[in-house]
Amino acid sequence: MSNKLQIRRSFLLLAFLAAAFVGLAARLVDLQVVRHDELSAKAEENTEREFWQAPRRGDILDVNGNILATSVAVKTVCADPSLIGNQQLLVARAIAPLLNLNANELAQKLVPRIVRLPDGDFVTNGLHYVRLAKNIPEETWQQVVAAMAGLKLGVDEKKLPRADRDFFRNLRLHSVFAESDQMRIYPNGSLASQVVGFPGTEEYKIDGHLITQIIGRDGVELTMQKALSGVAGWRVTEVDRAHHELVALRDEDVRARDGLNVVLTIDSAIQHIVETALAEAVKKHEPKSITGIVIRPSTGEILAMASLPNYDPNQPNTITPATRDRVITDVMEPGSTFKIVVVSGALNNGVVRLTDQFDCEHGHFLFAGRVLHDAEPHGILTTKEIITKSSNIGAAKIGIKLGAQNLYDYAWNYGFGQRTGIPLPGEARGFLYPVKDWSKDSIAQIPMGHGVAVTRLQMVYAMAAIANGGWLMHPMLVKRLQDRDGNPVQCYAPERVRQVVSAATDHLMVEALKTVPTKEGTAPAAAMKDYVVAGKTGTAEKAEHGVYVHGKYMASFIGFFPADHPQLCISVVMDEPKDGYYGGPVCGPVFRDIAERCASYLNIPPDPKLMTNAPALVVENTARKL
Amino acid sequence: MSKNRKNQAAVIRFGPALKASFLCLLIGGSAVGYVWQKNEIFRLGRQIGQREAQLRQLRADNKQLSDQLAILHSPVMLDRRTKELNLGLAPATPMQVVRLEEPAAPAAPNHLSRQFTQRSLDSVTP
Repeated sequence: MSNKLQIRRSFLLLAFLAAAFVGLAARLVDLQVVRHDELSAKAEENTEREFWQAPRRGDILDVNGNILATSVAVKTVCADPSLIGNQQLLVARAIAPLLNLNANELAQKLVPRIVRLPDGDFVTNGLHYVRLAKNIPEETWQQVVAAMAGLKLGVDEKKLPRADRDFFRNLRLHSVFAESDQMRIYPNGSLASQVVGFPGTEEYKIDGHLITQIIGRDGVELTMQKALSGVAGWRVTEVDRAHHELVALRDEDVRARDGLNVVLTIDSAIQHIVETALAEAVKKHEPKSITGIVIRPSTGEILAMASLPNYDPNQPNTITPATRDRVITDVMEPGSTFKIVVVSGALNNGVVRLTDQFDCEHGHFLFAGRVLHDAEPHGILTTKEIITKSSNIGAAKIGIKLGAQNLYDYAWNYGFGQRTGIPLPGEARGFLYPVKDWSKDSIAQIPMGHGVAVTRLQMVYAMAAIANGGWLMHPMLVKRLQDRDGNPVQCYAPERVRQVVSAATDHLMVEALKTVPTKEGTAPAAAMKDYVVAGKTGTAEKAEHGVYVHGKYMASFIGFFPADHPQLCISVVMDEPKDGYYGGPVCGPVFRDIAERCASYLNIPPDPKLMTNAPALVVENTARKL
Repeated sequence: MSKNRKNQAAVIRFGPALKASFLCLLIGGSAVGYVWQKNEIFRLGRQIGQREAQLRQLRADNKQLSDQLAILHSPVMLDRRTKELNLGLAPATPMQVVRLEEPAAPAAPNHLSRQFTQRSLDSVTP
């Protein structure tokens, strides 16, 4: 009897256990198989976090490693209004002075609001998130943290219920938080601002994450955007209740690749020299604008490129259309500086020799129904003297001798009518019309720099070609890309475009151009004490709405030194200068000022020919004794 | 039946007892070891996290300091400071720079005559 009872009880227990296990198994199947996707997503949502790592934007450096643009780590201060309750004014008063904000306006931002998303859903302040201030330094953020931690709420919190205590705890610790960000700064302010450019920010979403990225808007910041920006990284990991990362449970960890540093050919010392000299010239002549370029003729490296007025990229409100980089964006009639094209072309083709004589008609020459004028009347002048005196009539006669097609070909070969390819945005081509579109007098107008429009960069590179044995160089602005530790990633070498004129012709041209900065020439003020200078002046009447405007001039001087072994080629152009308008007297002294300071800085040896009067100097070489 | 039970109760079987104890210890030890290992992993994970944060901070500080140094060294800043301090400094003119020629290699070890360099008119070196 008892055995049967025992067996029955055992079966009952077994059945109960079996039912329990079946129930558990069913629940397990439900959780692990049927609702697997839903529940695993929920679990991941609770613990797994995805962090995006913004790459650090690369620096822009000058040729000597001086910083022209860099990024600094800053904070974007945000708040979760849902954790603030009705304490908006208290929080606002605590942190508004630190963030330089108005307390009442800040309090308004902290009030939870219902926001309708584009997809039609309603959320509170865009998912408990409101941005309070950007570009806040780390030190200021620490002050904000301290201010929030020290909030005096006027109640004895120990006596409050746990829910209220948690509210105050969250208010102090989590209601105001910060996101890491970076800000672009330019330590030298407006120095080379048009070359370096300025930044903007762009926000985009990756997998639902809002990413803020600095992007270039102008200058090298824009053209080298890809190299500077780097690649974002990410980390998929789990966090504990206090939002601390559980490193052991990291799933994916791909580090951000920082942007590369861009090393320019610009030398900030020379840039400073140029900008200082231009600023002094602005005080004296009050031009509408003034530009200065310094390049190395043998390599095409741009050592300085300035245009005034300019802007400070740290202060975006200073950026206006007037502060554009006129060196590459504006075109102008070059005036007499263009004579180097026609004379070098004619010499190269053997059409004229330096000693050939031309009748300059005493300042009045009727050609194709139009009278050409010279600034001063001249009689018979040699080709060389046409350059020295800058005779328009002489240049026109050489142009007629050279022929329209040849003149056009030489102008094209010198790079006019096409972009130089400088890595900066907004470069203009200029205007060089094909021969079929020329008027009857174009052949006489173009040799004296009328009827063509060039950029200042094209003009200085044409002159640099003469300083470089006739070889036109490609403008070089970026020297190399390097990583954060200074290891080169990509280097750029000087690039020849073409040889426009032969070395022999080039030598003749240099001899002619040497006579310009002399007492007999048009630019005695450009002559240097210790160096022989070769160069050419230019004075062009400005054209507005298709007609020349009397009294408005573009004055220019482009030269290089030492004339026989050119190290630097410098261009100075003034738009509507006052107190004189001829290129020689207006731009010549600015050229000399820049050239002398650059020669001193670069330690360019003085021209031996000018050292004959130097006192004999004997120096004991103590270095050998040591 | 009762005799067998009586006999069994009296006998102490050390072998199975030891085996059971060993098994228990093994299981217990494994469990404790597993917990200890997990604990260590999380402790080291925290340390790694702290070190990473420290490294990030040090890199940021280093960058900030090197930027400051670079700015203080920049020609523009030096020029501004020179003008502010009114030190009367000016760039040397090319004629004030004395250029020394590269000394020739010594002809013999005992050749110890004084060497002079004269400013040359035709072979200046940069």
